[in-house]
Amino acid sequence: MKKHKNIYRPIEAEVLDVITETPTIKTIRFKPKEKMTFETGEFMEITIPGVGEAPFTPSSNPESTDIMEVSVMKVGKVTDKIHELKKGDTIGVRGPLGTGYPVDDFEGKEVLVVGGGCGFAPLRSLMYEFFNRSGKFKKLYFRGGCKTPQELVYQDETAKWAERDDLNFKVTVDVADEKWKGNVGVVTTILDGIEMDHPTAIAVVCGPPIMMKFATMKLLEMGFKENNIYLSMEKNMSCGVGKCGHCRIGTYYACKDGPVFTYDKIKNFHEIWA
Amino acid sequence: MAYITSKNFERFLEALNKDYQVFAPVKKGEQRFYKRLDADFGDILVGEVRAFEPVKAFFTRAREEVADGFKPDIPHAADKPFAIVGVKSCDLKGFKIQDHVFKNHDYADPFYIKNREENLIISADCTCAIETCFCLALGVDPYPTEGFDINLSEIDEGYLLETGSKKGKAVIEKYSSLFQETNERFIPRRDKVRKKVVQEVEKNIKENEVPDEKIFDGIIEKNFESRIWEEEAETCVECGACTVICPTCHCFFLYDQKDEKKMARFRTWDSCMIKDYARVAGGENPRAKLWMRLRNRFDKKFDFFPKVADVYACTGCGRCISACPAKIDIRKVLKRLVKGDEKA
Repeated sequence: MKKHKNIYRPIEAEVLDVITETPTIKTIRFKPKEKMTFETGEFMEITIPGVGEAPFTPSSNPESTDIMEVSVMKVGKVTDKIHELKKGDTIGVRGPLGTGYPVDDFEGKEVLVVGGGCGFAPLRSLMYEFFNRSGKFKKLYFRGGCKTPQELVYQDETAKWAERDDLNFKVTVDVADEKWKGNVGVVTTILDGIEMDHPTAIAVVCGPPIMMKFATMKLLEMGFKENNIYLSMEKNMSCGVGKCGHCRIGTYYACKDGPVFTYDKIKNFHEIWA
Repeated sequence: MAYITSKNFERFLEALNKDYQVFAPVKKGEQRFYKRLDADFGDILVGEVRAFEPVKAFFTRAREEVADGFKPDIPHAADKPFAIVGVKSCDLKGFKIQDHVFKNHDYADPFYIKNREENLIISADCTCAIETCFCLALGVDPYPTEGFDINLSEIDEGYLLETGSKKGKAVIEKYSSLFQETNERFIPRRDKVRKKVVQEVEKNIKENEVPDEKIFDGIIEKNFESRIWEEEAETCVECGACTVICPTCHCFFLYDQKDEKKMARFRTWDSCMIKDYARVAGGENPRAKLWMRLRNRFDKKFDFFPKVADVYACTGCGRCISACPAKIDIRKVLKRLVKGDEKA
């Protein structure tokens, strides 16, 4: 009889470091005890032993195959425990799962990346991949938004991104504080004035559902083709392999067929932004 | 085709007990329930209609361990497989959906695959219909035509046997001394019973005005914004019985044992009718209202599966009708969806 792998079993991993990014987001650096690699946009199920499992898209560089990172917002049972992790703790990792960004197809084109809140995490991994292939893209834009300056992740790193020649970078906050010198307003307000090569230009959007909805409407208005808008759909992905049923979107499962979908694939389904 | 007497059939099951955990329906009151046979092999009910429990329970257990810590092994892989007796045609159709989910993707489910490869399905013709039977409307005959290892048709004090797989053939050959050649006269008698049951199901379908699957195309989309969902969900108590009892429903909930010293992962059947089913960690719920979840249940059965697997995920077994404490009747919902009417 053909031996089938146990698709529900996590691989043991050691926590190497825990970085506090914002009051609600921490980045966990970990090293799986068995070799695993991922393509940017694919996700992992992270297990806290005795508590449970939750899906996260790595925020680290896909080039680093022995050590990886996930950035986690504290929102529930599993993420509360992730925020209590310390160096040396044991976690489990299952993956990579799903379908990532087809970065090969983006080469030679203009790419606009739009991120909101904790949607920065998977996008950081994508930006690393773009930087790994620097020069292969016609133009790169990053537009990010979050509620307040305190909630802006990877601030030291994005300060360096702002200085790169191969990237046009801008962030905005919904509500500023005294120190904030940048743009104030939702992320769609900093998309104005971007001229791109349609119909080939690519847009990648990741963030809370409401932000994705408005960003998609704006991108369509700007002239992006529906099949060039890549969206990360947030659904209740549990088994990660298209079996448990929870993350269905129309005729797809977010875990198996996504979580990244182009807008044309899902636009006719119900309940996509909820 | 072969024939086996009831007496020899008992001996056959007794022999199977060495290699299998043998389960067969027994009657309790008006219902039929699966029972593990290990001593008394006589007190079983091969015919009549489907058992209370769906046969999927022998392939994805209601609750099972799927990972033992970080070990790569498959838990309980050494357990004896099941021989399931008296499986009805409606349950066999359920495998079309279960197979699609658990076998046909890039990630094969090792638990299901093992059970599908090793379990022995000894199906049987229905010898009557009960009030909730409507299999014919879903293209299912009340006698198995495919998907079994061995099929039994009750004749006199014995069974007419048909093999449907190599596995079934091998088992019969192994115990060949228990079987005899078929008497040709048995076939018309088998067909007479089959015809009688077909007529009973046809009568049910007519009385309940159940539409045929040939006219199901587009019924969800055209009624997506209809009041049908709210009206039909009015009495629902969100118990999830309709989904756990369904031979096609496959959803499960993956959870870890609450013990930080030893990691163990389990799955239990889950139901899309339960409020938190699609809720994400941030609290967003695409189907916060009960009627939206009822609509989703029908959407999955009558829109998703025909699109992805070319099959309606209903077998006409009627279990959800008898299990529902709120008397939600899938036949009536289908009738309304086909008619597209707003009134109950």
